[in-house]
Amino acid sequence: MRLLLRVLAPLLGLVLAVVGLALLVETITAWIAPASSPLVVPWPTWRTAIEGLTWSSGSVRATAIVVGVVGLLVLLIGLVSRRHDVFLADPVPEVTVTTSPRSLARAVGHEVRSHDDVLSASVVASASKITVKAATLDPAEGVRAAVRDRVTEMLVRLPLARRPRVSVSVTTTKGVK
Amino acid sequence: MSRRSRAAVARSAGGDRTLTTIVGLVLVAASVLALLVGYGVFGSFRAQRPVVDPIAVGWVTTHADATRWIAIGAGVLLFLVGLWWTLRSLRPEPRPDVSLSELPGERLTVEHSAICDAVRHDAEGIDGVSRARVRLVGDPMKPALRIALTLVEGTDVRDVWADLDGRVLARAREAFAVSALPTAVRLELDASSAPTPARVE
Repeated sequence: MRLLLRVLAPLLGLVLAVVGLALLVETITAWIAPASSPLVVPWPTWRTAIEGLTWSSGSVRATAIVVGVVGLLVLLIGLVSRRHDVFLADPVPEVTVTTSPRSLARAVGHEVRSHDDVLSASVVASASKITVKAATLDPAEGVRAAVRDRVTEMLVRLPLARRPRVSVSVTTTKGVK
Repeated sequence: MSRRSRAAVARSAGGDRTLTTIVGLVLVAASVLALLVGYGVFGSFRAQRPVVDPIAVGWVTTHADATRWIAIGAGVLLFLVGLWWTLRSLRPEPRPDVSLSELPGERLTVEHSAICDAVRHDAEGIDGVSRARVRLVGDPMKPALRIALTLVEGTDVRDVWADLDGRVLARAREAFAVSALPTAVRLELDASSAPTPARVE
């Protein structure tokens, strides 16, 4: 989402600037030299096109809905595109240490997969929660406890500013050991 | 965590997010208002009125001068805000040189790349760090360091911290002759240990 914001923000700025410039140019042209108006934007044709429409016309409603959907998307991009850094405890006062959720998930994944009984595992991590899904050939409950212990122990070694909740689910798959 | 070291973590997108949110809100509000009027929430008579309302047209015709000035004012405002926003979000994040002395005749600044290369070299000397990227952010009088460290699998983060603060940052602080240097460190944990690619000079 942040990438989208980086692209969208200058575009929106540009659109505002162009609209402002067009308004300025057309107003001044219509005032000072009415003969050469409209200069760039064909606003008199737009005006005749919407002249007969009422607020309950279908096309007015359709335009309003389209504008609303676009506005909602823009609003969502603005609201959602925050950073998801995982903060570690500060080693010294003037230093801030962060890591990415992806990096944290990778580290947890290595730890989980190093367990002998784990066949495969997928990890999703954020600053507040780590979700581990693992598959094993053994009874799930025992492996689940072992995996949870491993992750907890690893989080003790990794000095995160806020200890995330850990949720582990293990499924038993069929196969030959 | 100081405010300045926190600010050095990444370039702020706060301005972009605020403006984008405002634009979205304006669009949604306009659309909702038009739909409400159209569906007769403000009276079924109003829903049947033309979009180019005769009352508004009458006002514009009688107050032609005022309308012109309002349109010109709105145009200038939109143009300036849009231009400022575009330039602001397209401008790359500055890489400040550090000024050590501003006294006339003894002005002394250190180039951005010189500092960053030195700190990067020190940081890559730490055990367990396979790769380091360093840059300065902020303004020349109040710079802050941003360091991205890639750690080899199984490295203890606390050891890296101790080395980083004791050796690398201590030297940087000494060089800048400051007691504290705001620093944001970004760790890549357990990455495959590819060394820093050779720099093209």
